Amino acid sequence: MKQFDDILLKILNGMQDLSFLYKKRRLDSVNMRNDIEILPERKRFMIEVNHIFKEFVSPKKYPGLKGAVKGLFSNEKIVKTAVDDISFTIDKGEIVGYIGSNGAGKSTTIKMMTGILNPTRGNCQVAGIDPSKRRRENAQNIGVVFGQRTQLWWDLPLSESFTILKEIYDVPDQEFQRQMAFLNRVLALEEFFDRPVRTLSLGQRMRADLGAALLHNPKVLYLDEPTIGLDLVVKDNIREAIKEINEKYQTTVILTTHDIGDIEELCSRIIIIDKGHKIYDGSLARLKDTFGSRRTMSMEIRQPEKAKGIQLARALGVREEDCVSVVDQENGILNVSFDRHKLQVPQILAAVMEQMEIKDVRIQETELAQIVKEIYNHGIVEEKS
Amino acid sequence: MIKRLKIYLPFTVNELKRRLAYKGAFYVFILISLFSSFISYYLWMAVYGSTNRQVLGGLSQKEMVVYVFMAYVTSFITISISDWVSEDVVKGTVAMNLIKPIDYRMSLIFRAAGDMIYRFLAPSVLIWIGIEVYKVVVLGLAPVTAGRVLLYLLSCAMSFLIYVLFDFCFGMVAFFTTYLLGLMMVQEALMGFLTGQLIPISFFPEALQRIFDFLPFTSMIYTPVMIYLGKYSGEELAFVLLRQAAWVAILYGIGSLIWKKVTKRLVVLGG
Repeated sequence: MKQFDDILLKILNGMQDLSFLYKKRRLDSVNMRNDIEILPERKRFMIEVNHIFKEFVSPKKYPGLKGAVKGLFSNEKIVKTAVDDISFTIDKGEIVGYIGSNGAGKSTTIKMMTGILNPTRGNCQVAGIDPSKRRRENAQNIGVVFGQRTQLWWDLPLSESFTILKEIYDVPDQEFQRQMAFLNRVLALEEFFDRPVRTLSLGQRMRADLGAALLHNPKVLYLDEPTIGLDLVVKDNIREAIKEINEKYQTTVILTTHDIGDIEELCSRIIIIDKGHKIYDGSLARLKDTFGSRRTMSMEIRQPEKAKGIQLARALGVREEDCVSVVDQENGILNVSFDRHKLQVPQILAAVMEQMEIKDVRIQETELAQIVKEIYNHGIVEEKS
Repeated sequence: MIKRLKIYLPFTVNELKRRLAYKGAFYVFILISLFSSFISYYLWMAVYGSTNRQVLGGLSQKEMVVYVFMAYVTSFITISISDWVSEDVVKGTVAMNLIKPIDYRMSLIFRAAGDMIYRFLAPSVLIWIGIEVYKVVVLGLAPVTAGRVLLYLLSCAMSFLIYVLFDFCFGMVAFFTTYLLGLMMVQEALMGFLTGQLIPISFFPEALQRIFDFLPFTSMIYTPVMIYLGKYSGEELAFVLLRQAAWVAILYGIGSLIWKKVTKRLVVLGG
C-alpha cells in the first residue's frame, strides 16, 4: 500500500513537473514577467529538512578500573543529542556552506541526508525522496565526498574504480565517455589514471574522489571537508572544479568545512550549527554585515593605569555597546572594539589622546574566520527558525 | 534480476584482481595450505596405524586420505567475510558502501565469490588433481565419475553461499561490539570441528551428530566431501542437497532481518 502511494505521488509530481515545464516554455515565449505566476503552489526544494533529530545512545562509562567493572553491571545509558531540531531548505543549484565546530553535528546531518543514518525523529527529502526509507534510490541522485575517507578501491588502478562505478550507477557508455572527458578536463585525472589508488598523493586522491562522486552526474553533491589537508594549489583546483560543475549542471552542493577560504570562494549561503542547533542561516554578506561591522583598535599606551577608568563611549556620545574598551594592564594595551558604521578611527584616537599618550596603534578588521570563531565561542543566537 | 546482479560483477572481478596484485601472498598462501593439509594427513595416518580396525567412522584409511585433502579443497571455497564486515565497521568504510545504490550484503557475496575463484584456481584445483591422481595410481581406488564431480560442485556452490550468508550474520555482531577479532578466533576454532574440516562428522557420538543435523555447519564442508566420496545416494543425496538449499534460504532471511535492524541503529564511527 505504501509503495502504491509512493508511485502515485511520483506520477503526480511528474505530471506537475511536466505541466510546469510546458507552461513555462509557452509563457517564456510570450512574456517573461509571467514567470512568477506559473510557479506551482508549493515550491519544490531540492533538499528539505524538517525538524530533524538524531540521538545516540551509549552505555554509561565510569572512570578507572573500578569503574570499568562497575560498567559491566550497570545498565545506565547516556543519550547524546547530536542533531537537535534542525530544519532548512535548499534550492536547486545552490552551494551551501554547512559549518560548525568539531562535533557540532555537521557530519551527522550529512549522513542523514545521504541515508547512512536514520534520524531519530523528523525527516528529510532529497530530490523528493526520503533517504532513510529509500536509500538506494536516493543514492542514485547523490554524490558524496568524505574528505577523510575514500570510496575508491584502494588496491586497484584508479581507472578500475571508475569502471566499477560505471556499472554500479548504470551509466550508459556514451554518458560515461562524455562525463569522463569533462572530469578529466576539470580535475586532470589523466596524470594518475592508471596508478593504484594507494599510491596517489592526498591531493590526487581527493581529485579522484571528487571525480568518482560526480561520474553519475548527481543532482546533489555532499562534500564533507573536501579540502582538508590539501595545499593551496590543489585547494584552488578543487574549488574551481566545484564551481564549474555547479555552473554546468546546476548541481546542488552542500559543503562542510573548517576552511573559511572554501566558504568565501564558493558559498553564497551558509548555515551555521552549534551543539546540534542551527544558529545562523543566511547569506554570507549578511553575516559579514551583522558581525563584521565591528573593528578592534589596539593602542599601546604609556601609562596603563590612566586608562583604567576611561569612559570612551560617554566621551564620544555613543551607546555603551558601540564602543567597548578593555584594558590589558600587563602589556599596557587598550583595546577598543567599536561599530565602524557609528564611529571613525580618528574620532576614537583623538578621544584617547586627549587623556593619555599613545605609543602605537593597530586596527583589526573582523575576518570571517573571527566571526565564526566568535559565534562558536559565544553561541550568539542571531536567528532561530 | 540479471541486470540487478550484473552491477555486482565488478566486485568479483576486482577482488580477483586485488588478490592477484599481491603475488607474494599468493605463493605463501599455496605453501601454507599445502603444509597444513599434510599435517592433517600424517595425523590421520598415525591414527589409522595405531588401530587394528579397518574402518573408522565409516571411512577406510584410503578414503580418509581423500577426505583429508578434499576437506581442505572444500574449505578454500568457504570464504570468511566477517573480517571484511568488522573492518568496514571499525574503519567506518561501511558508510562508503551505503552511499552507493547497492545492497551491502550482495556486494560482499560477490566480492567473496572473487576470493573463492582465486583460491579455487590456486591451491584447490592443484590439490584436487594431485589427490585424484594419487588415489587412482597409488591407492588403487576407482576414479571419480563426471556426475559426482558435478554434484560435488553444485554442493560446493551451496556451501559457499551458506558460509558467506552465515558469516554475514556473524559479522553483524561487529556493529554492536565494534570489535570482532577475539570472537572470530573462537568462531574459526569451532568451525573447524562443526563443519567436519578437522574430523569427519561421523566420528562424533550419535547424539552430537543429531544436534549437528540441526545446524548449518555440516552443510558447509562435510556434505560436499561426503558427496565426492560417494557416501550418499538416492534419497539421502537428494535430502542433503535440499537441506543445503534450505540453509541458503533460511540464512538469507535471517541476514535480511538482522541487516534491517542494524541499519536502524547504525552508528558510523568517526568523521
